[in-house]
Amino acid sequence: MKPENLLQNIHLRTQKCSVGCPTLNHFLNGGVPCNSITELVAESGSGKTQFCLQLALSAQLPPSHGGLSASSLYIHSEFPFPIRRLRQLSLALRSTYPHLFRSVDPCDSVFVRGVYSADEFVQLIPIIELHILNSKFRLPVRVIVVDSIAALFRSDFENTGSDLRRRSSLFFKISGALKSLAKRYGLAVMVTNQVVDMIGGACPGITGMRIGNLTELYSSGRQICPALGLAWANCVNSRLFLSRDQAVNGNGELYQRRRLCVVFAPHLPASSCDIVIKGEGVFGVEMQQA
Amino acid sequence: MEVGMLPISASKRGKLLSTGYTTLLSISRASLADLARDLQVSEPEASEIMKCASKTSTLDLSNGTHNTTVVNGGQTAWAMLNEEKFSLHITTSCMDLDNILGGGINCKEVTEIGGVPGIGKTQIGIQLAVNVQIPPEYGGLGGKAIYIDTEGSFMVERVLQIAEACIEDMSEYSNHFRKDLQASEVKMHPDSILENIFYFRVCSYTEQIALVNYLDKFITEHKDVKIIIIDSVTFHFRQDFDDMALRTRLLSAMALKLMKLASKFCLAVVLLNQVTTKHIDGSFQLTLALGDSWSHSCTNRIILFWNGNDRHAFIDKSPSLKSASAQYSVTPRGIRNSTSCKRIKMM
Repeated sequence: MKPENLLQNIHLRTQKCSVGCPTLNHFLNGGVPCNSITELVAESGSGKTQFCLQLALSAQLPPSHGGLSASSLYIHSEFPFPIRRLRQLSLALRSTYPHLFRSVDPCDSVFVRGVYSADEFVQLIPIIELHILNSKFRLPVRVIVVDSIAALFRSDFENTGSDLRRRSSLFFKISGALKSLAKRYGLAVMVTNQVVDMIGGACPGITGMRIGNLTELYSSGRQICPALGLAWANCVNSRLFLSRDQAVNGNGELYQRRRLCVVFAPHLPASSCDIVIKGEGVFGVEMQQA
Repeated sequence: MEVGMLPISASKRGKLLSTGYTTLLSISRASLADLARDLQVSEPEASEIMKCASKTSTLDLSNGTHNTTVVNGGQTAWAMLNEEKFSLHITTSCMDLDNILGGGINCKEVTEIGGVPGIGKTQIGIQLAVNVQIPPEYGGLGGKAIYIDTEGSFMVERVLQIAEACIEDMSEYSNHFRKDLQASEVKMHPDSILENIFYFRVCSYTEQIALVNYLDKFITEHKDVKIIIIDSVTFHFRQDFDDMALRTRLLSAMALKLMKLASKFCLAVVLLNQVTTKHIDGSFQLTLALGDSWSHSCTNRIILFWNGNDRHAFIDKSPSLKSASAQYSVTPRGIRNSTSCKRIKMM
């Protein structure tokens, strides 16, 4: 066993994968970090999948454009897979970088696989490793997206002691396997998570327990908290939260305000950034310091 | 050992005692001429006595003082107390936290730090890995760190950020208080701080145990390691264990090895732990993970928690410190004193 030389890291920072927007990359200090698990928490319809699709596509950009020159693996547990949206985003990427995609289709470097249960996902992990090892594709796999982890766990488990214990043991098993893959192959792993409503406002105790920088998470005017509880929170390295709210703009019109916040991350301060979702993708909004 | 037991003639022993040389120490402190004059013997004879005395006293040292302890390597409480007065601390860079810890994280002890995700466990770990390298001129140990990462939360850019802030603070200190320290300031460089952190990333519990077993050899080769940080000790032990008794055995064996390392090499061991919920009397309570028997494994136990918008650290268990809590904050520059209490005072 030998210690790693920390100085050999390029530019003395962990490698990151672009999320496809310069503002968001700046906000995330370069993008989604390799060798660790980043979680994106949001209620449905906030833009989790949009964000992940864009990440999966951006991975194939060369390092000079913030990517990893790599293909990506998109594991989805929410059906159907938004193939049309992926196509749309890939066309947008192609038109942004016409010189890079003259002869190749960005969609060729995104591998998609559906899973239906947590056990199936556990069985899939060795297959993922084989896929990474034996890839004869143009680009090596460096990004794994799991959209969403919560859907795998929401049906098969009863609310009893033994089932909950089995569930959290599975959390650690999946997270351990993903982290080990991430470390060995330098992968950036992105996992999405759903939210649950907090009943009765800020109830004290376990469910009301504060995790991370934000005292309370609000989305669509409801107080919520990430699904899968405390045990899962211990399994991810960084947690980002995407909220959606009605807001009034300068002209007095109502609009959807989406906001990306850092709940916790070893390398990012507590901060937030407004985002907009357009036909061409997800973009951060430059803001003056409030 | 007393003079009465020296292997010399009875008359010389009598002379020694009557002239006031009752302990070996008093003989070794006297000069050759003095001893010869006091005992009224020739100088060669006196030097013979001194040789005898010094041989006996070194024997004593190597065996431990065998008239006070039966077991080799034993120590009197008095000696331990004296040793503890000179025990070394590693600052946390947060003064309030240092105060309740009696100066910082203690060497020779195993300290466990636990808290919810995002409270700053990894940040404290990184801060300690940097602070252990503060040179003695600035009140540090000038040591190196071993960082065992089980979770993958160790980010190089964050270490660099904290290291740069630490160097800035040191040069500020030397500018303010000690003009003569300018020369040593140049020596510290963020790159050298990174070089002095031995970083191990482990991906399973077998790897973790193997690494802990290997550390003895590693530290023998790298003597100046002064801190071992495991971030976190828990992660791999929360998966794949159907046999909880096996888990407990493995964990306590690992804890014992770490404790042995701590006292053998006089270094600090910091174990970061996660929290979990525990079912007590029909309600759920937060507690550090790995169960009750694990809680015996560490000398000190610090729990980090949120109080409103402030981060607090609480000494949950310690044989020598009183239970107290202190506020700290995680800033871009690392762990620092919390500023919010000052703000309240001003308002």
